[in-house]
Amino acid sequence: MVRKKYTRNEITLVVFCTIFIILILTFYVWHQMESVRIGYEEGELEDKVLNLRKEVEKLELLKSSLLSLENVEKIAKEELKLVKPKEKQIVYDDFNP
Amino acid sequence: MSIYFQKKAHKRTIILSFFFMLWMSGLIVRLVQLQVFDHPRLKAVVIDQNQNKKPIIPKRGTIYDTKGNILARSLPVQSVYYVPSKGEPYNLKLEKINKLKKVLDLSEIELQKLKARIKKDVTFIWIKRKIDPEKEEQLRNLSLSGIYFMEENKRFYPHGQLAAHLLGRVNIDETGASGIEYKYDPILKGKEGEHLILKDAKKREYRFEILREPEPGKDLFLTIDETIQYYTEKALEKAMLETGAKWGTVIVARPSTGEILAMANYPTYDLNNLLPMPTVIDRNQAVHHNFEPGSTFKIVTASAALEANRTNLYDNFDCSKGYIYISGKTIRDHKRFGVLSFPEVIIHSSNVGAIQIGQSLDKERFYRVIQAFGFGQKTGIDLPAEESGIFRPLDTWSRISPASLSIGYEISVTAIQMLQTINIIANRGVALTPRIVKNNLRFPNTLKKKLVSRKRILSKGTASELVSILEGVVQEGTGTSAQIRGYTVAGKTGTAQKFDPSTGRYSFTAHTASFVGFAPVDNPALSIVVVIDDPQGQYYGAEVAAPVFREIASQSLRYLRIPQQEKSLNTIIADNLLKQREK
Repeated sequence: MVRKKYTRNEITLVVFCTIFIILILTFYVWHQMESVRIGYEEGELEDKVLNLRKEVEKLELLKSSLLSLENVEKIAKEELKLVKPKEKQIVYDDFNP
Repeated sequence: MSIYFQKKAHKRTIILSFFFMLWMSGLIVRLVQLQVFDHPRLKAVVIDQNQNKKPIIPKRGTIYDTKGNILARSLPVQSVYYVPSKGEPYNLKLEKINKLKKVLDLSEIELQKLKARIKKDVTFIWIKRKIDPEKEEQLRNLSLSGIYFMEENKRFYPHGQLAAHLLGRVNIDETGASGIEYKYDPILKGKEGEHLILKDAKKREYRFEILREPEPGKDLFLTIDETIQYYTEKALEKAMLETGAKWGTVIVARPSTGEILAMANYPTYDLNNLLPMPTVIDRNQAVHHNFEPGSTFKIVTASAALEANRTNLYDNFDCSKGYIYISGKTIRDHKRFGVLSFPEVIIHSSNVGAIQIGQSLDKERFYRVIQAFGFGQKTGIDLPAEESGIFRPLDTWSRISPASLSIGYEISVTAIQMLQTINIIANRGVALTPRIVKNNLRFPNTLKKKLVSRKRILSKGTASELVSILEGVVQEGTGTSAQIRGYTVAGKTGTAQKFDPSTGRYSFTAHTASFVGFAPVDNPALSIVVVIDDPQGQYYGAEVAAPVFREIASQSLRYLRIPQQEKSLNTIIADNLLKQREK
């Protein structure tokens, strides 16, 4: 039986194809891993956004509670010792609607 | 092999095959029984063992005031529940509950309920719902097996008791129980989702799956203005503490649109700290309580007389006796007057004069005008539990009824109906449905249909004449304590004796004091009704209710930057100061 001798070009082609396939497979695996990693990151970021939204809502509520007129009046009277002006102590400018 | 043995083997094979077939048939029958006939029952048993479907309560919509200030919002908090594992000794379970008691401050009643549920071998037990974040952390540090947390939403009201009756309450499952929360529950609550919990053989939860995403509730914008609401509540509280009255209610509105800017009740409660309370505190008296209006109803009597052309502004009425006999009953004035003109009867609130005006009308006409003003019917305000008041049909009227109605007796009204009456006058005869919800931010058309409803009740001429008369009430009549520096005010006081069911007579000690009015007269920006029930000491509407109107209106007009009609001395000084600074 005579063994066929491969030409240099044929060997180069095979090597090249093998490397190419390995590269594609490596890229595919890398791509998959990156997709999964980005997916995780996206999930984490979405959770973060959700938590931040909740935090913002909480803070808005706190702000609303702290700025309530009842609270402001309490601080003005008790902490700053302010008193309500009498009617004649108020000087009004003309209102421009 | 001999034929004998061959036959024997054959026989044995047949017997064996028979038993095998019998066994197989038995198996098949059992299989059919389990897989076909018992399938639904067994499937349910399996599902119950390893699956649990639970609703996901959606986030409830936020309620804002007209300027976008938060009045009610739901935030996520944790709820604690217990899933006892099978075979866990009762003592161990109790030990766990006792540990929880310390952290969660469980009451004895709560503890007894929990113990009863554990005894019954219930698989899911709520320990405490909607706990504080600090307590949640303490519990997590205990790392007790079988104790789990579930995120739920809790309703928070940043202003505590502000507009408590108006906003209303929600129950533990975030379903509206009263007020706006109840009325607009379908819009606010959204749509429930559903999740599936998978459990292992020991009933431990190992996987959650969302079957249906919840749809969050929509936000609601009210016509209420937080600042005006605050002014109103403070003024009402002050009056209530000064007079020692049983309860009081005030409504502030913008007559040109029918928008309610404030609605206050006293006594009130903190929405964040709900405790069991008597019905009188829980109810929104502004739309719920019926009362006899007394002299504020003379607005309707005067309207009917002017509209029917049975009398005019130049007619005089003899009120010099200070009393009048009607069907054997004596009705008196609060003081003796002489001969009064039509406007003076209203300005000085003469009962004798008002009865004579009422007598000039025929009953049917008077009945129709009262009905046209909306008495005996709901105003249509978008609040729950609105009362219609009590207005008897014409065929049940007695001989004294027209006289009683002329001065605001034999009829029960709500505060919102009296506000509607003054709004009709302020709008020069046009009635608009009062409303509390502005619109829905995400779905602006959702409530659009309800917003527009205009109806002419009185001719423009009659209404304008009444405006002048009511302005006179505040300038020189019973309502002088409602005057506001720099603004023109129109209004009417009312003081009604309360009916005492125990004696079957009108009481001489219990009264309902009220005031209805609007300002400025030419272009009304505000209309207000004040009702104070059973004030002690001073009890006249002029003394008790009119000053409340004055306080709320003066602050609110300044806040709304409504220009003053007449320049006060201070304004002139301020003008000069500004001019000097500019130079």
